Amino acid sequence: MTTGSAPLWRYAAGRLAQAVPLLLGVIVVNFLLVSAAPGDPVTTLLGEYPAPPEYVAQLRQEYGLDRPAPVRLALYAWNVARGQLGYSFAYRLPVARLVAERLGNTILLMATALSLAAVVGVTLGVIAARRPRSALDSASTGVALAGYSIPDFWLAQLLVLLFAVFLGWLPAQGIRSVRVEHTGLAAALDVARHLVLPAAALSFRYMALISRLTRASMLEVMGQDFILAARARGVPELSVLVSHGLRNAALPVVTVIGYNFAFVLAGSALVETVFGWPGVGRLLYDAILQRDTPVLLGILVMVSAAVVVVNLLTDLLYAALDPRVRY
Amino acid sequence: MGREFARRFFRSRAGVLGLCLVALVIGVAIAAPALAPRDPHTTSLVTKGPPGTPGYPLGTDDLGRDILSGVLWGSRASLTVGVCAAATAVTLGIAIGATSGYYGGWIDALLGRVTELFQVIPRFVLALLVVALFGSGLWKLVLVIGILSWPQAARVVRGQFMALRGAAYVDAARVLGLRDARIIFSEILPNVVAPVVVIASLDVAAAILLEASLGFFGLGDPNLASWGMMLNNAQAHFRQAWWMSVFPGLAISITVLGFNLLGDGLNDAANPRLDA
Amino acid sequence: MWTRAAALFVAVLLVAAPSAAAPIEAQRGGTAVTAIGGDPETLNLGITTGYAVGAVAGSIFSGLVWVDARGDLKPDLAASWTVSPDGLTYTFELRRNVKWHDGRPFTAQDVKFTMEQVTGPFHGRFRTAFANFERIVASSPNTLTVTLKKPYAPFLRLLTVFDCPILPRHIYGSGEEIPRHPRNNDPVGTGPFKFREWVRGDRVVLERNPDYWNPVYLDRMVFRIIPSAALRVTALEVGEVDHIADFYLPKTDVDRLRKNPNIRVRLGQPIPSMGFIFINTRKPPLDNPKVRQALALAINRVQIVTQAMGSLARPARGPFGDGFKWAFSIDSDYNRLYPHSPERANALLDEAGLARGAGGERAVRLRIVYDAARAPLVAAAAIMRDNLRAVGITADLQPMDRAVMIDRVYTRPDYEITVQTFTSGGDPAIGYHRIYASAPPGTPFVNATGYSNPEVDRLLTQAAEVPSREARGKIYAQVSKTLAAEMPVLMLFDEIGVDAARTTLKGIWIGAEARDRWDAVWAQK
Repeated sequence: MTTGSAPLWRYAAGRLAQAVPLLLGVIVVNFLLVSAAPGDPVTTLLGEYPAPPEYVAQLRQEYGLDRPAPVRLALYAWNVARGQLGYSFAYRLPVARLVAERLGNTILLMATALSLAAVVGVTLGVIAARRPRSALDSASTGVALAGYSIPDFWLAQLLVLLFAVFLGWLPAQGIRSVRVEHTGLAAALDVARHLVLPAAALSFRYMALISRLTRASMLEVMGQDFILAARARGVPELSVLVSHGLRNAALPVVTVIGYNFAFVLAGSALVETVFGWPGVGRLLYDAILQRDTPVLLGILVMVSAAVVVVNLLTDLLYAALDPRVRY
Repeated sequence: MGREFARRFFRSRAGVLGLCLVALVIGVAIAAPALAPRDPHTTSLVTKGPPGTPGYPLGTDDLGRDILSGVLWGSRASLTVGVCAAATAVTLGIAIGATSGYYGGWIDALLGRVTELFQVIPRFVLALLVVALFGSGLWKLVLVIGILSWPQAARVVRGQFMALRGAAYVDAARVLGLRDARIIFSEILPNVVAPVVVIASLDVAAAILLEASLGFFGLGDPNLASWGMMLNNAQAHFRQAWWMSVFPGLAISITVLGFNLLGDGLNDAANPRLDA
Repeated sequence: MWTRAAALFVAVLLVAAPSAAAPIEAQRGGTAVTAIGGDPETLNLGITTGYAVGAVAGSIFSGLVWVDARGDLKPDLAASWTVSPDGLTYTFELRRNVKWHDGRPFTAQDVKFTMEQVTGPFHGRFRTAFANFERIVASSPNTLTVTLKKPYAPFLRLLTVFDCPILPRHIYGSGEEIPRHPRNNDPVGTGPFKFREWVRGDRVVLERNPDYWNPVYLDRMVFRIIPSAALRVTALEVGEVDHIADFYLPKTDVDRLRKNPNIRVRLGQPIPSMGFIFINTRKPPLDNPKVRQALALAINRVQIVTQAMGSLARPARGPFGDGFKWAFSIDSDYNRLYPHSPERANALLDEAGLARGAGGERAVRLRIVYDAARAPLVAAAAIMRDNLRAVGITADLQPMDRAVMIDRVYTRPDYEITVQTFTSGGDPAIGYHRIYASAPPGTPFVNATGYSNPEVDRLLTQAAEVPSREARGKIYAQVSKTLAAEMPVLMLFDEIGVDAARTTLKGIWIGAEARDRWDAVWAQK
């Protein structure tokens, strides 16, 4: 970092260039997985009655399933390279459009959940590290451990049962009310109300993880010489915590959020399914069950690309926060 | 070191509690055939009997199967998957992370790509995909979860190695002419133990949760008693028979909690700086 | 439990009558929200039998007829019809002044076009009828004549909106291939509601068609997509959703819904539907009828009905069930032939040479294959495994995703037992004959047992052609006797359909299908 921004840009560009074979790897691995699996994707598109063979043949031709797998793989990779993600088997629509329709919802859910996790998690972790083995430490560690030990789908159900069914405070389902059409601020509040339970369910695990790692690294940092020196110099405790401790403790938080990006997306598939949240995670899950290969591959390619970018940003941020790491 | 480590570990209440919970779960898993009043698959006409129903202390499920027996037997599937998958994951992770972080350069770049390939696709999604397409089963689950779970350990180990490989004492060791393997195992790896232990305990916990998630989506192996499958089954009866969901859910939470606490205790014991 | 099943059965008989006809004080306006489990795969109802498509597009399109809650045919786009004495020629007088949603007039040419170009080639059920068409003549804008090659008893039942929805020729006749026509996701029909928007993964919205030939009360119909069955019910209970049709209603929640004063439940299945197991007769020892009969004696159908179906089914009583009273024969009554009896099953298995080993187990291992996504089948399979273990047979459960299940059961076929459910489509000839008729492997949702009996095939063909129910009943009695003895398929239960709605929805369920006739529904403010 000290050597200026040129190497940084070169590093970033290099990393992005390296992502190309990675994305190709994602396509190949998943394409092979789906192709190697037993079962015919066309059969999942037909109802519960025997379909006319001509119709089945037509569908197969329409989706290019009459060609050998290597040809399909090459064609698919070529299309992705040209920016085309193909057509969904199940919806008969462009994959890009399907994903675009839902991307915002997933980003909203993930961003809310992660912000919640970061704020609550760091606070809990700092409180715990402040006086190790105190009652506060035990309590905050206990909350964190519970959060990390409880399966999120189980938690989601308990939340629905408590807040939607018994108390009736919050909606159990979906992203907005369907009976009344809200506009403006009312619409935003309506979405926010629907967001509370899924975001809480999704954030709990990451809140726990962040608080644990914050606590561990705060403890580590707070015992180090420069902190002791700062304290000896009479720097106020809060200032020591924030400017010396947190800056170093931010590392694991950044790592958790950056690294877990892919996992949060997976978690959102579970939570989206339980709460009927129309996001990409659920589209992905439906695509697996419906053998909708173009949608499946399209989402995985997009997720992979997003993870590559987020990982790169994480590394850069890591470097910015930790002077020991140089590129 | 060993005695000192044990002393510190047993001073941590959390760690000891974790150890007790884990020991309890392991004990239950071993003794399940003796402890369980019934075969977990045997149905009866006592449909959704609440806890306390004569002969069924924790109640029965929709097919009249004994919940207690299911919970007891289910510990076997969860523990097997959790421990075996985590062992696979951590071993792979250390090997890949250490090599990658210590040598850097093209080895790091190559292993980094492989790590990323595994990392950019959420492992739950890949596990779901593989199990949905190719069917379920105990060892299939261990293999899938283990192979998909190593990047976390690898990344942490690599990060530590990257940070430490330029440290003064490592440079000194290198100047002294120590072999790479020696430096990796004796000089750097001990410093990585703490985070790896945490990761390992989290990995057992995460593997148990992943197995449960797959079970929750109906992708467990129905020929085994498993907590995830019980939760999947409970989903449809949640409102009428809370006990179908609560007991296996608690069992998962307690087991995962045990491994988390154990990891915490080990972490504290392995990290003397915390005594400050 | 038995008493409860009996009580439910009585309740079915009582409630089977249609609920209040369109009341006088019906109010205009409002929205009805229906929960569905997933996105429809298209909105072109003419090319699919998918349930979600029917739920949504059933209100966008119209058929020539509809079926009321008693199971009787009623006029829809066809105002009236006559049948020639030989049962070959059907003449339809079409409703006048009907307009498509885009304002163009509806004519007999649309019907002819739909049958010839869309539902005839592409619809899973209608194509069976279409294969038997001699010709279709649209002699005037309001007159259509269909001539059949052979009489086909259930013909008129295949003219509902779910079997042959009428599509606009001026849109679909443009030469583009029907299955990928761009208007499949932006449909134009003649039904009581017009398509407005589809937010994938979230909802489909329809709005009132002011030009419909009957008054339409609701302003909007919203189909809310809720994949989790448990949460669909929760949404109904908390009032986020007004209505859940049978297909999307988990049976095990019905007991609780029936106790809720804000929710009305309709029990009864005007369109019979059955759950059964295919027994793979190609795999020894299942090639031996005695072993198959032993399975019938060992499997506890009452337990499956009570526990897997939440008592919302009747234990099957014969190869065609008892959903069509006229097709049921006491001679092949399972209750008499195959009551649950592990003792008799054991005796038959011993007789078949499958002696028990030292541990009490016989040298038979059966794989039970089923669709992992269907909770009642998962439960039924677990019960069967337990039932079979009681007679010394080891069974492995093999849940699969739908595509793999179809591959294993129908394409390869590589299984011993598979649990399936088929709907009759309103007549045994439409939906049930395929269970027993000879079929080579490869086609999904037909006979997968490898059982092929020319006499059975002949009788089934005959049963579809004879017009009178009495004569058909005799044929079914005859074929049932053979099938019950040879047991290639063990029927498990006749489903009792259940629909549930908030009591604020009025005028609902005048059709046999809960998806039908939403023009008559209104919302109490």
